[in-house]
Amino acid sequence: MSAPRPGGTAGLAEVDAALAGLAPLPRDNGELVFEEPWQGRALGMGVALLAQTGASWAELRRHLVAAIRARPHDPGESAATAYYAAWLDALEALLADQRGAAP
Amino acid sequence: MSDSHGHHRPRPESEPALRAAALEALLVEKGLVSSDAIDAIVELYERDVGPQNGAKVVARAWTDPAFRERLLADATAAVDELGFGGAEADTLVAVPNTPTVHNVVVCTLCSCYPWAVLGLPPTWYKSPPYRARMVAEPRAVLREFGLELPAEAEVRVWDSSAEVRYLVVPVRPAGTDGWTEDALAALVTRDSMIGTAVPAAPGPAS
Repeated sequence: MSAPRPGGTAGLAEVDAALAGLAPLPRDNGELVFEEPWQGRALGMGVALLAQTGASWAELRRHLVAAIRARPHDPGESAATAYYAAWLDALEALLADQRGAAP
Repeated sequence: MSDSHGHHRPRPESEPALRAAALEALLVEKGLVSSDAIDAIVELYERDVGPQNGAKVVARAWTDPAFRERLLADATAAVDELGFGGAEADTLVAVPNTPTVHNVVVCTLCSCYPWAVLGLPPTWYKSPPYRARMVAEPRAVLREFGLELPAEAEVRVWDSSAEVRYLVVPVRPAGTDGWTEDALAALVTRDSMIGTAVPAAPGPAS
C-alpha cells in the first residue's frame, strides 16, 4: 500500500487505527502536526519501540490515554505539545512495565 | 545593587524536547531503537498519504463491479477493505460521474478533504475564491481548470464537512479495455477525484 518501511514497524494507517477515537495523532487536515522536531521523535520512538520489544499498541494506548488524562491542562501549551508530552509519559510508563517484567 | 554579570546560558531547549532527547539516548543505549529507525519512521509518516490510495480505489471500482457497488453504498467500509481507512470517524461518500453527471467537491467552510485517500489538499482547494466560486459558478470555475463540460451535463457540487467527505469516481476513459488495475490507477489524477479534471484518455504516444 505504501513505501517500504523499516523492518516490522507499523505503517501510519496502523497507528491511526490503534489510536482512533481515544488518542488520535494531532493533524491539520490530514497532515501530521509536528510543531517541533521532538514531537516527531516521540512518535517515532514509540513506533520503533513497539516493533523492537513486541509490546502491543493496546498497552501503549492504555498508557497514552492515562497520561493524557493525568496531565494538568496548561492553557499556554499547544495541543500538539500536550499530546506528544503525554507520549513521552506513556513511553516511560511502557519502559517501566518492561523493567518490572524483566527477569 | 547587583551588578549585571548575568549568566549567559545558551537559550535552553524546551522541557519536553530535553525529555525526548534523554529518552531517545536511553533507548539507543539499551539497544531498543536506533536513531536512524526513528528518522525513517518520521520521514515515512510525513509523506505516507497521497492521492495514490484514492487512485487505487477508483481503479478497483472500474474493474470490479461488485466493489463499485460496495463503494457507492458505503465508501468508508469499501475503502477500508483496501486498507486505506482514515483515522477518526469520517464518513466517506463516493459520488460517481456519468456521461451526464459531473461531480465536484469543495469545502465552503474550511478545507475538509478526504485525506486518507487523497493525501494533502492542494493549495487552491483551500483558497477562498475556489471555496466561494465553486458553489456560485461551478462551470466557470471548471472552465478555468481547463474542463469544458457538455451543456447537457449536470454539475453537482458537494460541500464537504468534518463529518462527510467526498471522493469523485470519474468515468473510466475509453480505450482502456483490458488494462490492469495498476495501469488504470496511473490515469487517475488527484484533480479527477476532486472533480476539477477528468482522467485523460490514453492517446497515441505523445
